[in-house]
Amino acid sequence: METKKLVLAAAATMLVLLAALAVTLPGRPRLVIATTTSTVDSGLLDFLKPYFDDRFHADITWLYLGTGQALAVASRGDADVLLVHDRAREDAFVRSGNGTHRVTVMYNDFVVVGPELDEAGVADAPDAADAFNRIATAGESGRSVFVSRGDGSGTNALELRIWSKAGVDPKERAWYLEAGQGMAPTIRIADEKLGYTVSDRATWLKLKSEMEDSLRLAVLYEGAPDLMNPYGLIQLNQTRYPNTNWQLAEKFILFMVSEEGQELIAEFEVGGEQLFFPVFGRTESVGLPPEAQEVQYWIQRLRDNNMNPPRL
Amino acid sequence: MPGWDEILSGMVRGLQLILSGDPGVIQITLLSLRVSGGATLLGALVGISLGALLSLADFRGRTFVVALVNTMTGLPPVVVGLVLYLLLSSSGLLGFLKLLYTPEAMVVAQLIMVIPIVASITLSAISSVDQETKQAVRSLGASPFRELLIILNEARVGLLTSVVVGFGSAISEVGAIMMVGGNLLGHTRALTTAVVLLTNQGEFAQAIALGMVLLALGFSVNVLLMFLRGELFSGTLPYLTARRSGPK
Repeated sequence: METKKLVLAAAATMLVLLAALAVTLPGRPRLVIATTTSTVDSGLLDFLKPYFDDRFHADITWLYLGTGQALAVASRGDADVLLVHDRAREDAFVRSGNGTHRVTVMYNDFVVVGPELDEAGVADAPDAADAFNRIATAGESGRSVFVSRGDGSGTNALELRIWSKAGVDPKERAWYLEAGQGMAPTIRIADEKLGYTVSDRATWLKLKSEMEDSLRLAVLYEGAPDLMNPYGLIQLNQTRYPNTNWQLAEKFILFMVSEEGQELIAEFEVGGEQLFFPVFGRTESVGLPPEAQEVQYWIQRLRDNNMNPPRL
Repeated sequence: MPGWDEILSGMVRGLQLILSGDPGVIQITLLSLRVSGGATLLGALVGISLGALLSLADFRGRTFVVALVNTMTGLPPVVVGLVLYLLLSSSGLLGFLKLLYTPEAMVVAQLIMVIPIVASITLSAISSVDQETKQAVRSLGASPFRELLIILNEARVGLLTSVVVGFGSAISEVGAIMMVGGNLLGHTRALTTAVVLLTNQGEFAQAIALGMVLLALGFSVNVLLMFLRGELFSGTLPYLTARRSGPK
C-alpha cells in the first residue's frame, strides 16, 4: 500500500512540475538592453529600473556583456536597445545600418589601478601612454604584471588604444594576462596577482565598497584626457530588426536623456560617490565631440512624447 | 584564515537570506526548479523510452546508437548552449519560435543534456535485469506490453537513479542556460547563473546563499531517492526494516 501512495505522490509531483512548466505568467512588456558590464556591476541599471518600469509599465532587463559582444548580439536582432561605451565601434554599428540613432548619454572615466607599492611607478607618469610604458618596462624585468580584459569590450578597446599610443605590443608578453572576463572579475584577478589593470571608475568603486580591505589594489593613475569614458545609447534599425521591441526601446532612450533620467543618473551614488555624469546635449563642455544633430532629434522626440528635455 | 572567514560569514548571511524568505532568492530558486524539473521530467519520458528501446529491441546499427548515446552523456554544456543560441537567435534557423532568453529555451538546452544521461543509465539498468527473469516473463506468454512493464519494474531502482542523476546534472548546469537564457533578472536568472554573476560582482555572501540552496536541492532529491528505493524494495534500508518489525 505504501508503495502505491508513493507512486501516486511521485505522479502528483510530476504533474505539478509539468503544470509549472506550462504556466508563463502574463507580465509587463519586456525590454532587453544589451549593455556593458560596468552599468550592471556598478548597480546603475538596478537603480534606474523601478523608475522606468513604473513610469512606462514595463519590465527592463539586461544582458551582461562587453561592448563587443553587446554589439554582436544586437546585430543579430537579439536585443532591443544598446547602452555601450566604444565610440569607434558604436559609429561603425550605426554606419552599417544596424542602428538609426546614437547619442551620448553620460560619462565617467577610467582609472589605472595597481598594487599600492606601485613597483612600476605609474603614479607620477605625465600621461596615460607613459604610465603604460612604465608598466611594460617593469613587466619585462619581472616586477609587475598587467591584467587585460581580453574580451573585446569597450574597456579592452581603450586599453589597446593606449598600448598602441605607448608603442608597446603587449600580446604574448609574459607579464600581460588576458582574463577574457568582465571588469569586476578582471580586477579581482589583478588583485590576486598584485598586478595592474584599467577599470572604469564605477565598477572599481562598487567592487571596492563591496570587498573593502580584502581588495588590496589602489587607484594609481587617473584624470588624463584619454581616460575619458563616454556611454552611448543606440536605437536599432526597426526595418532590419522587426522583432525587437522598438517602441519601448525608444521610450528607454527618451527616459535616459530626459530631465528625469539625467537627474537620476547624477543621483546614483555608491559609497557617497557619484559614479556616472549625465552629459546629454553638452558633450563639448567635457571635451567630447559635439553631436548637435542627434541632440536636436532627441529633444524633438522628447517634446513629441510630452517629456521634458534637460535644462542645457 | 581569511578565506574561511568569508565562506563562514557567507554561510551565516546565506542562512539569514534563506530563512527570511528573501523574495529574490525564492524567485531564482523557483525558476531553477521549474527549468530543471521540466527538463528532467521530459528527459525522463524520452530517455527511459529510448533506453528501453535500445536495450530490448534488436536492429541494425544498435551498437552504434548505444555508443552515440553513451558519448552524448558527456556533452559539454557550453557547446549545447552555443549551438542552441545560434539556432534560436532572431537571425537563426529557429528564430521565428521566439524562444531565445526564455525559460523554455533553457528547458530545451537541459533536455538535450538530460536525455542521454537517463537513456544511458536506463540501458544499463535494464541490461542488468537477469536473463532468467526475462526468459521467465517471455515463457509465461505475457503480451509484449506487459512484458515491458514487468522488466521496467524489475529495473525500477536503476530508472529512479537515472532520473535523479539527470536532475542533478540539469540543476547544476550553468554554461548552456547562461547562453540561451541570457541570465535576465526576473526572467531567466537561475541559481547557477546568479552565482556566477554575484561572484563576478564580489557579492560573495549572496553567492554562497544561492550555492547553499543548490546543495540543499541536490541533497533533498538524493534523500528522496533513498527513501523511494527503500520503500520500493520493501525495507532494504535498516531503519525501515526496524520500524516495520516493531510492535504495533
